[in-house]
Amino acid sequence: MSLLKDASLPALTAGFVAVLISYAGPLAIFFQAAQSAEISNAMMTSWVWAISIGAAASGILLSLWLKVPVVTAWSAPGTALLVSLFPELSLGEAVGAYLSAAVILFVVGITGSFDRIVQAIPPGIASAMLAGILFQFGVGIFVALESVPALAIGMIVAYLVFKRLNPRYSLILLLIVGVVLAVVLEGASLRGVSIQLAEPQFIRPEWTWNATLSLAIPLTLVSLTGQFLPGMAILRTSGYDTPAKPIVTITSLTSFGTAFFGGITTVVAAITAAICTGKEAHEDPGKRYVAGVANGLFYLIGGTFAGTIVLLFTSLPGEFVAVLAGLALIGAITSNVSAFAARKDHLEASVITFIATASGISFLGLGSAFWGVVVGSLAYQLLHRPFVLSDRRKASAAGERQ
Amino acid sequence: MKHIEKGAGLVTAPRDFIRDLNADNLSAGLVAGIFGLSAGIIHISAGTAAGLPQEFTLLWVISYLMINGLFGLFLPAYYRLPLPMANSIPGALLFAAIIPVVGLNEALGATLMAGAIALVVGLAGWMSLVMRLIPMPIVMGMVAGILLKFGTNMVMPLQNALLPASVMILSFFFAARYLRRVPPLVVTLLVGVGYMALSGADFSSVTFSFKLPEFIMPAFTLEAFLAYGLPLALILVGMETPAGVGLVKGMGYKSAPANAITALGGFGTMISAFFNLHSTCIAAPMTGICSGPEAGSHDKRWVAAVIVGIIFVTAAPFYGFVFSLIEAMPSYFIAIIAGLALLRVIGSAMQMTFSGKHEVGAMFSFLIAVSGIQILGIGSSFWALVLGAGLSMLVEFRDFDFSRESATSRRSAASAR
Repeated sequence: MSLLKDASLPALTAGFVAVLISYAGPLAIFFQAAQSAEISNAMMTSWVWAISIGAAASGILLSLWLKVPVVTAWSAPGTALLVSLFPELSLGEAVGAYLSAAVILFVVGITGSFDRIVQAIPPGIASAMLAGILFQFGVGIFVALESVPALAIGMIVAYLVFKRLNPRYSLILLLIVGVVLAVVLEGASLRGVSIQLAEPQFIRPEWTWNATLSLAIPLTLVSLTGQFLPGMAILRTSGYDTPAKPIVTITSLTSFGTAFFGGITTVVAAITAAICTGKEAHEDPGKRYVAGVANGLFYLIGGTFAGTIVLLFTSLPGEFVAVLAGLALIGAITSNVSAFAARKDHLEASVITFIATASGISFLGLGSAFWGVVVGSLAYQLLHRPFVLSDRRKASAAGERQ
Repeated sequence: MKHIEKGAGLVTAPRDFIRDLNADNLSAGLVAGIFGLSAGIIHISAGTAAGLPQEFTLLWVISYLMINGLFGLFLPAYYRLPLPMANSIPGALLFAAIIPVVGLNEALGATLMAGAIALVVGLAGWMSLVMRLIPMPIVMGMVAGILLKFGTNMVMPLQNALLPASVMILSFFFAARYLRRVPPLVVTLLVGVGYMALSGADFSSVTFSFKLPEFIMPAFTLEAFLAYGLPLALILVGMETPAGVGLVKGMGYKSAPANAITALGGFGTMISAFFNLHSTCIAAPMTGICSGPEAGSHDKRWVAAVIVGIIFVTAAPFYGFVFSLIEAMPSYFIAIIAGLALLRVIGSAMQMTFSGKHEVGAMFSFLIAVSGIQILGIGSSFWALVLGAGLSMLVEFRDFDFSRESATSRRSAASAR
């Protein structure tokens, strides 16, 4: 079998590190969502199982099929969306929205319209919405600083030091230091953590307009612009000329399946993809696909023991999870804010998108990400988009002057 | 006095004021002035929260407008720059909270000392040193963080006053698009007032009164100085002045007189201490309105700041009346006007924050300022600067001016060899 022949230790390590980083950082956001939804440990386990299995199945399949290191994961900005929507949103409604998003993404994938759609969204508006969704997590670091100053300061300093010394492993090192600090400073006990096999729980989906507008549509948008777009860009800059069509299609299909067990949309990884597509994974680009497969296999293991992961996170203080999530996202917040701040041509519309999304407003039952896009697109249309009419007016004004 | 920057002088100021007055800076000045008047509500609520008597709180606000307004007439007119004066909002919250603990006269004594510190820093010309230690992206991160709240306050009314709020915000966008000649803010103001009149706002609670600032003798205690005077001095020197100067410089006024602003603020704060007032300093949000593109042509925006001073001094004795009028308008009215006025300023502040250098420090400064945390009784804007600059030194030291200077001097020394 060629897979065994191509397998190498660096590729396996790369896959393992990518999984570990996803569990160390972005998973903390999903736990915050679970906390705001006030669900049981068993349900949380099912969620973690579902996202891990979704990432495992799509990653292994795509990597083997395309012979390209396709690293998949769950939509991190999507989980960030959830935090502000729960508990008003019911679990069934959330699952219904996951299914709608999967269907939309499937259509995007099968028709091959990914590149066209991504180009149609003004880049400043997309970055501003992403920044607005992620922003509250960054602020959360300092809200925690007030209640648990020693833990928060310790983690911030550890993050900065690791970021400087070893950027690649900084999140994993931060997780370890954070756990030690939580045990020593806050008296958290890890005694309850034990090996547990996950038992997926079926959630009956419920379809509502509210959930479609405030979750499914923003989820699709942030998955496209915040995950697929940078993820595909990483693949392409690493020299893989892979079309988006099979990747978007397959991940949307796995998303559909795992949604019933609480798994949010499966997407191409953005934060961890570069680890498996670069030289560190293997000298020969043709053999790096093994890293993608390994990544999937380690997700499979993680999913199987999802109960243990949940126990680890739930035995640590909520502030720990908040600081960890915030620090894991600070790079993404900075790059998105810089991205829209640098687009001078539609800055006002971007700022108002950012403000409306970050404000956390909610009315008519719809969340701020939806209103951010609505207000932002309106401002974009009115303030920045050149109209045919104004062109004509300009032309006639020029005519008068002559 | 050698560190105090020279200005254009006051002799021709009244004539130039008339010459430079136009619709843009008039509307910006009006908006900033109304904004400043509405800031009195913060003082009133802080006073109420601390259990201070009503008469004192009214006197406090009247002094704020009268004394800050007088300094605000002088500074922009002398320098021909959009430098409106007001007082420190974090300082106001500290002041109201400390009075029940140390007593009013003692708190004012500490104010006097804080003013003296700011005056010395300004006269000695240390302001540029302070500003080099705390680089521009970090200061702007803090400013953007503070301003962001005005932005979110603008969209909040969409939740419970959807119709008037969206009418006002849309009128701004439409005016910006189709009425190039008329400042969009004026349109929004008129639309908003029109809407209130049509929807039948209740003006029956409006009452008339006349009051002037009253003299009071400060007293000095070490306790008041440590708990309030020192933090106030840090706020004035470390935050209010850099924020204001940073904003004005960001708007293209490179010659903003940092030392003079600090020194005059310090002197004004010392005078304030005798009239129930906690500070005089450059006001960041109003500076944003007066110095931004909304205020029209670049060299005439100083007029907007003078108009703020005129509004303050005129309105001061009648503030009891103004306050009851502001009370009659729904609270979101001012929030939306202020948010729209600051929209571009927030954008350019964020642009300067994330211009590339000091990225980590700037981001932390921004986040800390937004979070509104209090450590050791000192507010988030101070910590945004201190922690932002500290973390920046830790992870991106090479972005600091003095590190580059030392590197280039080392390099030139090496090449000389």
